[in-house]
Amino acid sequence: MTTSDEQLGLTPGARIWRRAHSTFAACVYFFLLMPSLIVVPMSFGDKREIMFPPANFSLTLYQEYFFASTWMATTLQSLKVALASAAISLVVGFLAAYALVRYDFPGKRLLNLLLLSPILVPVIIVALGTYLYFSSLGITGTTAALVVAHSVHTVPFVIVTLMAGLRHVDPNLERVAELMGASRMTVLRRVTLPLLKPALFAGAMFAFLISFDEVVLSWFISNTLTQTLPVKMYSSIQWEVSPVIAAVSTILTVLSLVACLISAAMQKPS
Amino acid sequence: MATAALARPGSRSDLPILLAPVSALLVLVFFVPLCFVLFYSVYDGGFTTKAFVSLAKSGLFIRVLGTSFDIALSATLFSILLGYPIALHLSRQPPRRRALLLILVLLPFWTSILVKSFAFYVILGNQGIINQALRLAFGDAGTLKLLFNRVGVIVGMAHFLIPFVVFPVLASLLAQNPELRRAAQIMGAGPVRIFLRITLPLSMPGVVAGGLMSMVISLGVFVTPALLGGKSDIMMANLIDFYTRDTLDWNTAAAIAVILLSLSAVLIALLSWVRRDEGVA
Repeated sequence: MTTSDEQLGLTPGARIWRRAHSTFAACVYFFLLMPSLIVVPMSFGDKREIMFPPANFSLTLYQEYFFASTWMATTLQSLKVALASAAISLVVGFLAAYALVRYDFPGKRLLNLLLLSPILVPVIIVALGTYLYFSSLGITGTTAALVVAHSVHTVPFVIVTLMAGLRHVDPNLERVAELMGASRMTVLRRVTLPLLKPALFAGAMFAFLISFDEVVLSWFISNTLTQTLPVKMYSSIQWEVSPVIAAVSTILTVLSLVACLISAAMQKPS
Repeated sequence: MATAALARPGSRSDLPILLAPVSALLVLVFFVPLCFVLFYSVYDGGFTTKAFVSLAKSGLFIRVLGTSFDIALSATLFSILLGYPIALHLSRQPPRRRALLLILVLLPFWTSILVKSFAFYVILGNQGIINQALRLAFGDAGTLKLLFNRVGVIVGMAHFLIPFVVFPVLASLLAQNPELRRAAQIMGAGPVRIFLRITLPLSMPGVVAGGLMSMVISLGVFVTPALLGGKSDIMMANLIDFYTRDTLDWNTAAAIAVILLSLSAVLIALLSWVRRDEGVA
């Protein structure tokens, strides 16, 4: 199945082509990795300057992040919003994914498209619309507003992940349990959900991270009291770049790496 | 799927319960907001099309529209140029190695746009890594302006877009029959000719799909031009933000959003047409 160019015996021209191509690919991989590689050493620099490599190494930026500023408050706010919207989109997304995988009904294709539309429409438009709508309701700036706005944005990712997961859960197992007299709730609790655990975990992780990193919706909907971490980072980079961002970025990079490994692991079975 | 439904006739009665929460969420926090955008685009104390009329005559808006297309196209082309070789490289790797390398492609996708903006600030700035290296090599004449201009925006956006190019291209490369290349080689074709006559043409649907997706994403981009671009790199999203928050002109902000929405809709329609034609999901 793999092409095995080796079997054919490479001509010198082919060897040069391959070498050139691999070198170029390596450069692009490096370009992709570079931002993540840079923020880590930066985070151990000091408060004075933003330079790479940092002149002297210290933990002051982490100290500043954890103790001496409003960074922690915004982080906690982001954590709260991300946990709540992950929970909402997990429940709502599971029900929808179950309907889409286990049932056939007219308009299913259309519904599928509609459910994914929040990721296709540019976020700025949804952000503006939500801002106008929530302003008319008088709820902009509340944490609840942030949570529901984020949930709409995260639920398509959860649905896609859970649909893939549900396709690997044999519906016959559910049917057998039902034939043996288990109620629908028992089947769900004892058969479907346990078998779906990896996908549920991945879906929750994706939703959490997307919400935790979301900036455009939060920029429009939050106020100074409900500011999230990305909004604070955004305004900080825009006005005067605080070196503390390096420490924040390192923590976020670790989170991204975890999500990345999970999504890579999710791709294998399918 | 079909068998499950057949085995439980009448169980469709569950459907409303399963679909009600997601429908409520989508209608209330997605479709109603979109309607608010449509409404405000033609409403300013009374129904009017004045926002669209004045946008059509506004030099600022025309310039921003041009900038948006310019940046979106450049960033898309740049991402295809960088993403295609990656996809080709991945398609020639054994599955296990490919899975490992795919993590490198996924990482930018899962990395916060703000982390990346900060990193590019460190890389491209006047005191940044590239300029330090250039000064080391060429002295003070070696400083290049890479940040707060078009270069910064395009580099930052390409980094973000590459995964969206790599995945569809990789899919269409993996779908190719390797025997074709083998046959061409036996007939005496060199690697460059094989690439230009077989591999590249057969992967065009993936390239087009990835390119259209990149265009949709980059036309609506907000953070990158604001943080890595200069004054002349303002895009539609930034203008929407400006009218909403700085001048409180919701009418104009909504009208720009409607224009952006229509442009995205055309591109998405094209994208789904390309994909349906191909049959590759």
